[in-house]
Amino acid sequence: MVMKTRIAIIGAGIIGVMIARFLVEKGVNDIVLIEKNYPGSGGSFRCATGIRASFTSPEHVEMMKRSIELWPILSEKHGFTYRRDGYIWLLSEEEHVEMFKKIVEFHHRYAVPTKIITPEEIKEMVPTINTENLLAGVYDPLAGKADCFRALLNTLEYVKNKGAKVLTRTKAEKIIIKDSRAQAVETNKGVIEAEKIIVAAGYGSKKILKNSGVDIPLENLPKHALITEAYKPLFKPLLIDWSTASYIIQVLHGGFLIGANMKEKPDTIPVNRIEYLYLAVKIWSKYFKWLPYTRILRYWTGYYVMTPDHHPVIGPHSRIENLYIATGFSGHGFMMAPSVGEIMSQYILGEKLSVPIAKNLKLERFEKGKYVKEIAIFG
Amino acid sequence: MDPEKVIICRCENVTLKDLLDAIDKGYTDLESLKRYLRIGMGPCQGKYCLILAASILRRRLGKNYDELLLPKNRPPLKPIEAYYFLKPPKEAKDLEV
Repeated sequence: MVMKTRIAIIGAGIIGVMIARFLVEKGVNDIVLIEKNYPGSGGSFRCATGIRASFTSPEHVEMMKRSIELWPILSEKHGFTYRRDGYIWLLSEEEHVEMFKKIVEFHHRYAVPTKIITPEEIKEMVPTINTENLLAGVYDPLAGKADCFRALLNTLEYVKNKGAKVLTRTKAEKIIIKDSRAQAVETNKGVIEAEKIIVAAGYGSKKILKNSGVDIPLENLPKHALITEAYKPLFKPLLIDWSTASYIIQVLHGGFLIGANMKEKPDTIPVNRIEYLYLAVKIWSKYFKWLPYTRILRYWTGYYVMTPDHHPVIGPHSRIENLYIATGFSGHGFMMAPSVGEIMSQYILGEKLSVPIAKNLKLERFEKGKYVKEIAIFG
Repeated sequence: MDPEKVIICRCENVTLKDLLDAIDKGYTDLESLKRYLRIGMGPCQGKYCLILAASILRRRLGKNYDELLLPKNRPPLKPIEAYYFLKPPKEAKDLEV
């Protein structure tokens, strides 16, 4: 098989789908999405669905702020649920409160409206929570969540109706590069010639790029999550227990989804470990005395695709023409996807970037040693 | 029988009509149908609905079972109260709390 297309996007996760979405919106319909499994099958459908701009680098904050402007527009147009339900960090140690005061100051400089709140205020937003050990919370009212399944599938349907093609169960092996120009994608089902090639294949991007002579510093970090059966809505914000960096979110469908840190080695295959269930239940039963009586429905694993500075690689390759990369979201790909889709479409079509600071996120920063700096790493 | 009155997935209240419409829309494997309709995501963990959906999908599209992408089974086999996990077992060495 030899196919020809204007745009080839490797990876039909939320990033690839959003890139396609912003391209078809500008009249570019000659697109082929190449997906090794089925759309959403990597991190997109395993994520916690949280969305926030309260980060600690200008790059992250600006990209996420743009995403938060776009999420309601996409939600309305493509008919999936998105809500600004907020995030609360739960702080139980004095030094954490001091650190977060500085972070809140940083947020205010970038117009992210976080604020320190009292345990009583936490209780107002989160009925039934035990605040006994809490000193304070940090509330981010701009944060929210979306339905990760319909966000991807409905948007993909829209993109397909506009003429884009999706090749599922098709594995991209390498990019054929001649005279420093990306020309085609070699897959297990044949060659796809394209004017522009976008690699948005999560950790899989590393191997595809390596086979094409391009190094990208990505590590796959295993993560664990569980969800309970669905219950009636109890609290809206996503909660983060800062002392264990664990979170709980009642997803839009009603289940309580818990993520907690297990010791894991990068680039290993995650396996289900029963200890995870003990850990998750232990952390959150301290806050909610009803939690032991909920039923655990499902436990799954996934990955954070990490880069050395925990920021994504977004943009054109500096030396290979027509090659674009969007990967390495380090656990924040779903929430950032709308602005990434927009920025990538702007790079591809030679337009002005709607988030100018995104230019700092190109792959070349690692060669030049210009890592993105954060004032503190949290979340 | 009226496909609108035939329930395919009791946990998530999905009808045969929902399933047939989804197949016509292009959701032609079980992994995608699971995320689109939520079949297999409720308390039965797909024990009933996914098998039903698989045979309907196979008949409709003439695919063989390998092509249907039967979703992975995730633990636990059936929903279990969280209180069973309140006391860590002795062998849980790598808890990071």
